[in-house]
Amino acid sequence: MAMRNAYIDQFPEEARVIRAALWSSFLALMIGGTLGLIQGLHRTNVLRFIPSQDYYTVLTAHGVLLVITFTIFFLVGIFTWAVTTSLDRGVKDIRFTWGWYAMMSLGTLLVGVSILGGVVDQIPMNADVLYTFYSPFQAHPAFYVGFVLFVVGTWLAGFDWFRTWWAWKKDNPDERIPLPTFMALTTMLFWYLSSIGVAISILAFLLPWSLGIIDSVNPLLTRTLFWFFGHPVVYFWLMPAYMLWYTMLPKLSGGKLFSDPLARVVFVLFLILSTPVGIHHQYLDPGIAEGFKFIAMTNTMFLLLPSLLTAFTVVASMEHGARQRGGEGYLSWLKALPWRDPAFTGMALAGLMFAAGGFSGMINAGLSINYLVHNSWWVVGHFHLTVGTAVALTFMAASYWFIPQLTGKEIWNRSLGLVQVVLWFIGMTFMSNAMHRAGLFGIPRRTAEPQYEGFSFDPAVGTVAEIDAQVALGAALLTLSVYLFITNMVLTTIGGSTSDAIPDNTYAGTLSGPEDSPAIIDNLKLWTSIAVVLVIIAYSLPLASIIDAGGLFGPGIDPWKPSVVVDPSLVLESVRGVMP
Amino acid sequence: MSSAIEKGVDGKHPTDETDQVRELDHDEYDPIGTAILVGIYFLILVALWIFMYFIEFLGNGPTVTGVLLTVVGLA
Repeated sequence: MAMRNAYIDQFPEEARVIRAALWSSFLALMIGGTLGLIQGLHRTNVLRFIPSQDYYTVLTAHGVLLVITFTIFFLVGIFTWAVTTSLDRGVKDIRFTWGWYAMMSLGTLLVGVSILGGVVDQIPMNADVLYTFYSPFQAHPAFYVGFVLFVVGTWLAGFDWFRTWWAWKKDNPDERIPLPTFMALTTMLFWYLSSIGVAISILAFLLPWSLGIIDSVNPLLTRTLFWFFGHPVVYFWLMPAYMLWYTMLPKLSGGKLFSDPLARVVFVLFLILSTPVGIHHQYLDPGIAEGFKFIAMTNTMFLLLPSLLTAFTVVASMEHGARQRGGEGYLSWLKALPWRDPAFTGMALAGLMFAAGGFSGMINAGLSINYLVHNSWWVVGHFHLTVGTAVALTFMAASYWFIPQLTGKEIWNRSLGLVQVVLWFIGMTFMSNAMHRAGLFGIPRRTAEPQYEGFSFDPAVGTVAEIDAQVALGAALLTLSVYLFITNMVLTTIGGSTSDAIPDNTYAGTLSGPEDSPAIIDNLKLWTSIAVVLVIIAYSLPLASIIDAGGLFGPGIDPWKPSVVVDPSLVLESVRGVMP
Repeated sequence: MSSAIEKGVDGKHPTDETDQVRELDHDEYDPIGTAILVGIYFLILVALWIFMYFIEFLGNGPTVTGVLLTVVGLA
């Protein structure tokens, strides 16, 4: 028998940290998924066993645990794998790696406990502020401190990968950056740029306000700073999924990545365009001029480009695999793909759902058509296709490949894995489609009881009861799928026996490699500079105008007006003030 | 180039039902199936956009106010 060459054999120390990160991620998935079922049944009035005011605590925990904890812990695990595997060297100091993992964990604990305080009387805290934590909702300081610790932990993780790359570059001065590392680094660059927004929002405004140091905040300013981070964060979740589609899916299909240069262009476009788009979440916010919203919309529409490029490149890579496996014809090559492999099928179905999410995203992005769906259940349907399937299902599917790499053990039951990923796809088809439809006739999001006296929603097709039934059924199937996944992972880790049949730790080769693209693509400084300039163009005037109109700390305490023009009425007012 | 990428296709993967039967290089491979799928996706998007016109402007009445757009919405 040939010597096994899995990730755990190559990098045993790093494998331990990645396992810890993935398990943190899975725990968040299990808790967050369960809470999702409670919400699904409560909202649709199928089963209500919590008081409606507790719905918002549950909703906050569901959002934070799934879109922050689950996704980002998985990301740091996968990026550590990507950087070490593709540079073929370990991290510089494993204690530092454990350090950022510990910091992220401590942050999560603080956030989790403060949210839990909303339903447990013994915990004297409260953070029912939903994932978006808009003021005037106010959380206990522990929530904000925990959030900051978590984000700073990710910054340190990024530094860990950068310095591993710097060390590699010293030894390989003339080499192109290996693709997985290139993807991790470009993703981190826009993450650094965009998370400054949430850091300022928390450290300068929300935390001092929660501690009682300042009396009030400017809600529009903190909202805008939130969305400065809040849209790029969706690409922060998505980029590890893209990385897996580009580097794993072609290999699992039996082929090679169609084009390495196209993949690099896609990640460069995300680096440039992820941040100057956040205002598209605020199309209905008064206080931001339509022109600024139009700039955000234009940038957003450009962002469709890298996703459409991805659809082409990834499908072309799968087709290459299918044809190498003997597939023929215009479309019958699809049958030659390895549909019995849960890692492949899960990722392919996730990509298919992302194509549907792409359409609803185009609707959300349109300045005028957004009015139709804004704050409705449509939006919830949309992001359950994107983060809730494109990202979540890809991560679960990839775990069927990664957990054996990280433990040296075979998956406990691969057939169950296949059932699990298909069940997710079916459950989400029911739930997300029903949510989209519900949003079109105005059923709101973020509402415990969207049933009103003396008023009924009027769907053009079907009934509200039928839509509610689909959502409840979908939520139940999704939760079942999560439990099947967790069961499989637990039994693999504690019950499975070590196997020599684990495949080598590799990622997909390329049909067209980096040598086919100009070296400027790898110039991270150039792309980062362009990203910064675009952010300045998109945000400086809106932020100045928001501060000018509402004050830096809101209208509650003396506003500071950084107006560049002397306002004659203010001069008159101050003159009046000193006159007897 | 790193050693990992040189290893290329993972032929040992336990769930590969059928092994690779041929090697297609860059010039031999023509992604016609991908072009067809992308074309179908494009047609779906166009159909959905047309559908959205009926929902947005004819189903719910105008949601964008202003003389010109209101007239378009009522049309």
